[in-house]
Amino acid sequence: MPSLKPPSGLDRRVALKLLAAGMASAMARCSRPDEEIIPYADMPEGLVAGEPMRFATTLSLAGYGRGFLGISIDGRPIKIEGNPNHPFSLGATDIFAEAGVMSLYDPDRSKAIRRGDTISTWGAFSSAWRHATHAQDGQGLALVTGRVVSPTTLARIGALKNRYPQSRWYRYEPVHDDAARAGARQAFGKVVTALPNWADADVVVALDANPLGHGPDELRIARAYAARRGKAAKRQRIHVAESIWSLTGAAADVRVAVTPAHLVEIARAIANACGAHLGTPELPDFAKAFADRAGQELLAARGRALVLAGDSQPAEVHALFHWTNAQLRAPVSYLPSQDIVENDHAYELCALANDLHAGRIQTLIVADANPVYDAPDSLRIAEGIATVPFSAHIGLYRDETAHGCRWHLPMSHALESWGDERALDGTASIVQPLIQRLYATRTRDDYLAWLANEDVTKAYDLVRKTWQRGAPEAVEASWRKALNDGVIANTAATPLSLPVDRVSDFPGMSRPRGMSAVISPDPSVWDGRYANNAWLQECSKPFTKQVWGNAVQIAPGDAQRLGIEDEDTVDVTIDGKTITAPAVLMPGQADGTIGLHWGQGRLEAGRIGSNIGVRVCGVGARPFARVINGAALQKSASTVPFRSTQAHTRLQGKMEQLFQIATPSEIARTSPKKENRAPSLLPVPPKGDYAWAMVVDTDACIGCNACVVACQAENNVPVVGPEEISQGRDMHWLRVDSYMRPHGYTERRGFQPVPCMHCEYAPCEPVCPVEASVHDHEGLNVQVYNRCIGTRFCEANCPYKVRRFNWFDYSGEQAYADEGVALKAQHNPDVSARGRGVMEKCNYCLQRISRARKTAEKENRKIAEGEMVTACQAACPTRAIHFGDLNRADSDVSNLRKAAQHYTLLEELNTRPRTTYLKRIFNSDENG
Amino acid sequence: MAQLFRPGANSIAVIVIVALFAGPAAAIAFAYFLWNSPYATDQNLTRAQPVPFSHLHHVGELGLDCRMCHTGVEKAAFAGIPSTHICMTCHSQIWTNAQMLAPVRASYASGKPLHWQRVNRVPDYVFFDHSIHVAKGIGCNVCHGPVQKMALMRQAEPLTMGWCLECHRHPEKYIRPKDDVFDMYWHQPFDQLEVGAKLIRQYLIHTDHLTDCSTCHR
Amino acid sequence: MSAAGGTKERWIEGIGSLEEINARICAPVLNPAHTWRWWAALAFSGSLTLLMLGSVGWLFGHGIGIFGNNTTIVWGFPIANYVWWLGIGHAGTLISALLLLTRQKWRGSLNRFAEAMTLFAASMAGLFPIFHLGRPYYLYWITPYPNVQGLWPQWRSALVWDLWAVGTYITFSALFWYVGLVPDLAMLRERASSRWARRLYGAFALGWRGSARHWEVHERFYRYMAALAVPLVVSVHSIVSLDFAASLEPGWADTIYPPYFVIGALYSGFAMVVVLAAALRWGCSFEPFVTRRHFDMIARVLLAASIIMGISYATEWFWAWYGGERTERHLITFLFTGPYAPLYYGQLLFNVIVPQAFWLPRVRTNIAPVVIISIFINVGMWLERILIVWSTLSRDYLPSAWRIFLPTFWDWALLTGSLGAFMFLFLLFVRILPAMPAHELRKLWIEENTP
Repeated sequence: MPSLKPPSGLDRRVALKLLAAGMASAMARCSRPDEEIIPYADMPEGLVAGEPMRFATTLSLAGYGRGFLGISIDGRPIKIEGNPNHPFSLGATDIFAEAGVMSLYDPDRSKAIRRGDTISTWGAFSSAWRHATHAQDGQGLALVTGRVVSPTTLARIGALKNRYPQSRWYRYEPVHDDAARAGARQAFGKVVTALPNWADADVVVALDANPLGHGPDELRIARAYAARRGKAAKRQRIHVAESIWSLTGAAADVRVAVTPAHLVEIARAIANACGAHLGTPELPDFAKAFADRAGQELLAARGRALVLAGDSQPAEVHALFHWTNAQLRAPVSYLPSQDIVENDHAYELCALANDLHAGRIQTLIVADANPVYDAPDSLRIAEGIATVPFSAHIGLYRDETAHGCRWHLPMSHALESWGDERALDGTASIVQPLIQRLYATRTRDDYLAWLANEDVTKAYDLVRKTWQRGAPEAVEASWRKALNDGVIANTAATPLSLPVDRVSDFPGMSRPRGMSAVISPDPSVWDGRYANNAWLQECSKPFTKQVWGNAVQIAPGDAQRLGIEDEDTVDVTIDGKTITAPAVLMPGQADGTIGLHWGQGRLEAGRIGSNIGVRVCGVGARPFARVINGAALQKSASTVPFRSTQAHTRLQGKMEQLFQIATPSEIARTSPKKENRAPSLLPVPPKGDYAWAMVVDTDACIGCNACVVACQAENNVPVVGPEEISQGRDMHWLRVDSYMRPHGYTERRGFQPVPCMHCEYAPCEPVCPVEASVHDHEGLNVQVYNRCIGTRFCEANCPYKVRRFNWFDYSGEQAYADEGVALKAQHNPDVSARGRGVMEKCNYCLQRISRARKTAEKENRKIAEGEMVTACQAACPTRAIHFGDLNRADSDVSNLRKAAQHYTLLEELNTRPRTTYLKRIFNSDENG
Repeated sequence: MAQLFRPGANSIAVIVIVALFAGPAAAIAFAYFLWNSPYATDQNLTRAQPVPFSHLHHVGELGLDCRMCHTGVEKAAFAGIPSTHICMTCHSQIWTNAQMLAPVRASYASGKPLHWQRVNRVPDYVFFDHSIHVAKGIGCNVCHGPVQKMALMRQAEPLTMGWCLECHRHPEKYIRPKDDVFDMYWHQPFDQLEVGAKLIRQYLIHTDHLTDCSTCHR
Repeated sequence: MSAAGGTKERWIEGIGSLEEINARICAPVLNPAHTWRWWAALAFSGSLTLLMLGSVGWLFGHGIGIFGNNTTIVWGFPIANYVWWLGIGHAGTLISALLLLTRQKWRGSLNRFAEAMTLFAASMAGLFPIFHLGRPYYLYWITPYPNVQGLWPQWRSALVWDLWAVGTYITFSALFWYVGLVPDLAMLRERASSRWARRLYGAFALGWRGSARHWEVHERFYRYMAALAVPLVVSVHSIVSLDFAASLEPGWADTIYPPYFVIGALYSGFAMVVVLAAALRWGCSFEPFVTRRHFDMIARVLLAASIIMGISYATEWFWAWYGGERTERHLITFLFTGPYAPLYYGQLLFNVIVPQAFWLPRVRTNIAPVVIISIFINVGMWLERILIVWSTLSRDYLPSAWRIFLPTFWDWALLTGSLGAFMFLFLLFVRILPAMPAHELRKLWIEENTP
């Protein structure tokens, strides 16, 4: 791995060091140790040492598969990128996919079979299993999993059921869709998956729905959303009514913040507008105005209008909106649910709890689920498991449930496993390993097949068996194709056409006493399964910008009422249980609501994720309730630190020019701005064959952070950990600034990704005494790490503050920084690891430019438009980041820089950034 | 009272004053020449190898092509050290039981690779790419020297940054037709500078970019 | 001031003979009285010096992460300390040079130790930029020297200018100081008892025999150096100010900076001179040479400087308002209302308000108040330096990058440590070299005692 740390040397070399007063170690490259080159004994087919190779594979989120490409160098997966062929990636990634490589190499992963706390053997386990006390027909045998849609895994579970007919399979997913399922049952009499065809909608009304937020459908929706933002397309109008801020809410053109109770009334109002007669909704004026306007626009756009209800909405609202969509002839396709289990998730978990406490379970197998952590305390799962004579946990980590069980079996990570997954619409894809398994682990399918004593127990053979179709040679061909494409042809389900029952009655929601807690999965660590992923823990949440923890989001009104200041620590009391966490004031959140996130407060996540933040999923009677009424809020006696990477988000007065917004009519009126060509005292930057530039479309950006994690993975950006963050230090080369601007009765929010601006007249360059910060002939403002002596004058003089300094040896010895040797394997060998005391920053993925240039020059041609793609650009699900060559008049970036909504950050400084922006456009003419 | 100083004191004073200025200058000069010397740069250094492989024999006498063993040189940054398998393609036929080759056969049998000592090396923060140099007409022996004459491989050049820059600043002095890149016996034509300049145009080499820091450091 | 210099009152009081002057001046070196004070002070400052060495060791071991700096406030204590110490280092050479050229009689009693102060302060200043480097072992990369990479420093960077400015200043001050010392070293050579002491002083006296020609050449050379020194003094802190002024950060990129910094430097320098003068007067019983009138004179200088400082601050506020630049305006409001506000009010109080007391002759001519106010001024000037660094970096262009600086133990350790080291060096100085220029005072005494 490249490293800038002065290496320890031979004695002869030490003599040289002393000669230069002990300072000269790296001058003239002396004092380096001998180095070995170890070739292959037998070189694998097609592998070229040091050159990246791409393999299609599949990663799952909430049980649904999404196809990605793994980049691997010398047999080490170092990066995940989107798979254009896969309908739920479409070439994009999200933070969870990007962080997959981090999880793979996580040194805290479970590496051995354990009985209690002691390391055990497979032999010991199998004999113990043979003596397990469940009956021969499986009476008392229980299997617990998350959502399973993988054909191969379902086959295993089926086999287990055949072998033990009386056994019971409990499946539950913490981030579930029970309300939607129930709503579908009410509307259609059966559970279906409703997939909105977002791109076909001119008007969208979302009721606390967050399709642009993280989830198995995010990337597909985001791509469609972006498709409707371009200059060409007829603009969509998005109305969002919600209680707390969601990414969809930030993307909305019109947004109101109301309590959950009022949301239901808005649903009633909108349904009425579409012809339902459900009595008059009781709403405050502004909410009524919103509902009326939304209703009118929906009707006007009949056939191209769409209403969406979120997971926090009761089944009635979902049913009502299915009916409303039918009335609107909305672009929604209904598909058979891939989740074949009939019961709802919450029900299944409660059933498990009951059976445990009733002693109906003698043998318990928990496969890749963590009920001890994520089930509500009221279910007393841990106690229940403790009573079971034989319990085994299969998982990536030795987590809370693993500690609760008698046995723990280590599971392989997806990137080192064979398997298959299905996407929301049923599209199947193969899980292909990119690397030999790192530890003595096996896949979930392996274990289940073994437990069912199937004849085949090799994951590879199991998957092959699942996809045996047609003649042998055809099988081989289709198999190769599936591996190559990352998608198995025509496996997507065919849409159903369903009659919707006429809605008869629609019960209103009782006015809640106390405040309503609105709970959603953590934007960084989801339901807690990613808690030990340092990249995700340090990925700041879109609105609060918080890292390493979770907070209580409250409306300023309530805060004032209760005398709570920003970052005060507060106690939230729900059903007698108290959650203590720092409060963060969120203008634009509905009064009377409290925003909470699941996923933190893990006890056995690992060295990174344990004891970070507070556990929210423990509260409440119903498992994973999205809304809990009757919550109480008060200032706490204790203090919990609030760690964020951005303290100030509100823009007012002249500062509004930092994040520029406009309406379509304004854009139509403005003519493209002439580029600032004011003279400068600084030397004219050199000109070369390429003039690289980036244009970031803040109108398309939804603030999902995929670019941030992608950059971290690509450029070996170290993690600094909570202590350093508290010090005000962070290392992200690309940060997403979150801004809000007051707008009428609410706020408008937007996101501004800020990489290095690569100024043509770069303020950082003339101040560096050793020319470590220099321009190259392609317009890049590059940082030469090995020349940097760390005066930090460059960062002091950078108006954009995009440079990052290695205060400690972050990439080396620091506790959080890339802990363990395993993580070094994730490092991108094309990028230097920066040592202590060195400044670093975004360099437009120089290593990729260099690779593209060499490829082109070997073929005696120039780099083609679109051939060079930065890591952030590749990740972005909304294609908000454009990159290219300004020397081409016809290039994407050249055109965008001529666009009417184009602007330059801090243009008045005449730094002439190569990174520029497009305005955020709100498609609503009430000017903000 | 007695004299404090003997007459010699004056000359001592003079010497001291002169030394105050001359000393540092001399030290810097000495250091500079030391850094450039093989003592610091490892130039001409040979290292002990598991097998005393002779380029003199394989290249000079048998006339094998570099690419036969260094398979990556045209495709990748890393020229590649031959896998044991490649050695054995020949040595399963000839010198099949030469004592010298015992480690190779052992490696072949066990599948455990040979551990060679790196001879030519640049620091970790220098990203050197063989393939592009070969593709643009820089011959192997420009950096590696007369390999065909080396019984044991040695570092032929200082490999200091100044040395790299010399060629990156004046490629016309060193560039040669692509066909001659692997020719160990190629000699510069008398009009190298004109030919070089022509080749630079022909190979579309962007000389301005060659001296950018970002060309080698990132 | 010259008017005051020419009055009937004397600059040297209660001295009967030339011999008495020599004796009193050599006393601390050759046969010191009440040495316990000295030893106590040495022990105290020595321990602080050890603290400094300790924290430097810790610093080099762990990296500058031990300071309170963060992603946006990348500069902190070391830079402020550097500017502050260098400012203090200004008074000495200026007193010697400028007052010499303007024939100020009261210069004689101050210049020797003031120049020593300059040297020690400047050396402290010189250390901090090294401490603040991420990779201090590559410091020499800022200097032009032949190397195998074929690389040179970048002459556009104000930091490179600093290197030369400060380097030149220290070298020159040392020479100037030494040249002034030569006749007194000869005096010590004659008076020292041990043979080795006499040889040592003798060696550095460069064979001074006090012949008419020696005096004549010395006089001329000394004046020429003084003439060179004055522009040098002005240039040094002007260049240091460019570290900030040659940027485009709000509150830094101001044309007022060079003069503003130079005056500030003299201001803190003179304040430090007052403190040391009082200490010497008390510690080495130099009452005859350092009189109330000396304090009076310096107090007047301080008063003038404080007014100029006040005007400079006001100018900053005015231009921020008049220029209408968003960031500049915000920065000023931030200074008055932000978390650093108490420090800022302290700065204004100590640097502008309190020194106005010098309008009253009673205050000026009493040593105690002058010393106390001078200490205030030094604190105030340090506050100014740290706020220049902090406030701008805490509040520049993008609100998303706004942060606050919280100093750590090591920040303070290094600052107090440097104070200790400075004191330590000064204490050694008064016991090894004559802290007053005997030959100049003899001249002054003769002038004053010839009718």
